[in-house]
Amino acid sequence: MTVIDVRRLRKSYGDVRAVRDVSFAVERGEIFGILGRNGAGKTTTVECVAGLARRDGGAISVLGRDPQDGDPALRERVGVQLQSGALPDKLRVGEAIDLFASFYRAPADRVELLDLLGLADVRDRPFDALSGGQRQRLSIALALVGRPEVAILDELTTGLDPAARRATWELIGEIRARGVTIVLVTHFMEEAERLCDRVALIDGGRVVAVDTPAGLTARAAREQRIRFRPDRPVDPALLRALAPVSSVEALGGGELVLGGGDGLLFALVTTLAEMGVEPLELRLEQASLEDAFLALTADGPPASAAAEAGAPSRAEAVA
Amino acid sequence: MTAVLARLTATEWRLLLRDPVSVGFALALPLALLVIFGLPAESREASRDPGGERPIDTVLPSMALVLSFGMLALFTLPYNLAAYRERGILRRLATTPVRPVLLLAAQLAVNLAVATLATLLVLAIGPLALDMALPADPLGLLLALALGAAALFGIGLLLAALVPRTRRIQAIGPLLFFPSLFLAGLWLPKEQMPAILARVGDLTPLSAFRETLQDAWVGDALDPLHLAVMVVWALGAAAVAARAFRWE
Repeated sequence: MTVIDVRRLRKSYGDVRAVRDVSFAVERGEIFGILGRNGAGKTTTVECVAGLARRDGGAISVLGRDPQDGDPALRERVGVQLQSGALPDKLRVGEAIDLFASFYRAPADRVELLDLLGLADVRDRPFDALSGGQRQRLSIALALVGRPEVAILDELTTGLDPAARRATWELIGEIRARGVTIVLVTHFMEEAERLCDRVALIDGGRVVAVDTPAGLTARAAREQRIRFRPDRPVDPALLRALAPVSSVEALGGGELVLGGGDGLLFALVTTLAEMGVEPLELRLEQASLEDAFLALTADGPPASAAAEAGAPSRAEAVA
Repeated sequence: MTAVLARLTATEWRLLLRDPVSVGFALALPLALLVIFGLPAESREASRDPGGERPIDTVLPSMALVLSFGMLALFTLPYNLAAYRERGILRRLATTPVRPVLLLAAQLAVNLAVATLATLLVLAIGPLALDMALPADPLGLLLALALGAAALFGIGLLLAALVPRTRRIQAIGPLLFFPSLFLAGLWLPKEQMPAILARVGDLTPLSAFRETLQDAWVGDALDPLHLAVMVVWALGAAAVAARAFRWE
């Protein structure tokens, strides 16, 4: 069942054509990602879906209604977590939850909600004394306090440290398990890859692709790469002669990078074993959503969660 | 809806008590001035003007109330609303079933409550400590307070609508307030002003408010021009504010 249907959405701010042509459909119960670099039109798109901005063209249906009509009944059923949504400095966590709960006809159990979001210990703490992660979780709690059928979460983990980001990801999984359909706006590849059932890739105000993260990655279909350091020098020409190997690159410190197709790892390891060479620090690098992003959009990559978090930038398996 | 408004107002009130500096200023400064100018014996000497009223019954209570109402309406209210908009709080509210206009109403209610408190404090401290006479025309005083509040808070909402940033409100508020105080005759009695300035002053809401308060306090007939000036400012400012207000 389709919960959100966006067709040929257009929206300009003055001369800036923020959204040129965006269409996608979100099914009930899925986590749908809207992925793109900063300025791609993601936030404008969800603002139109959330009824916060008036579109210039196209059609949007959320739970069978047009969000632009400003129907309070629709806002009962859709929870929105906005990018940079602050609260008054001295408002306490528990008070904020209670206040927002009073806006809805059938609010969630507040004690349970605070527990779920890990805010029970800070319920008496004012907003200005919360950490970034706590503020973000409070923001999510406020989006969920009306027991929405659809939750729109914009740039959920921006500015969080890696541990808080992972905790937030786990939380999103739990929320989905309760049957909430989630629209997740992000510019973090890793986030989309981890959480989303399907992703709409937006670039320059247009949808470039809608697919599962795996499907998008497959479109990029990059070859595998193996990086290792032999314990004694190996003639690169010997490796280049192996069937699956398409490229051999020698890095500093004796490190080698092999590119190639299926069977690359097996061919390499058996050959090295025959030569009595041991591969040290061997890493297998596979195509990721980030590679798909690069392949499907024109310019450079979006900010990567990994780069900001200081973690490896590609899905790496240490063999 | 009324339940939500009551809840929002209660929350705003609680927030105000936790961060009482700006509102405390709007209470403390006028009362301090009232006491400082009211303690010396001269404030209780009848002036040589016809009628022979004492400053403690005329300019001092009206000054205190004008300062208090003016600060709340022209600084506190627009600043808070601009801060709420700047920080995305109005926008967040727009995503819930509740309309952001309720938050505006709650802010208004809280600031009006503080203005009422200031009025009660003047009415208590003046007569008890400073030998101030009670207002001779209580109904006239109520009318003056109601119209003055409507005009000044109307302008406060207009400021909040037209000046989107807290920083600019910090600049524009005083720019508006201090000349208004001058035109209202708080720095220089109106009788000593050039005639043209006194006439301009008559058309400003702060001046009309102060003079109506003073007339009601001593029991003079209220000046219809002053009443009309306050009504026009209240309606005009509210109408423009309602059109111009942006939630983002």
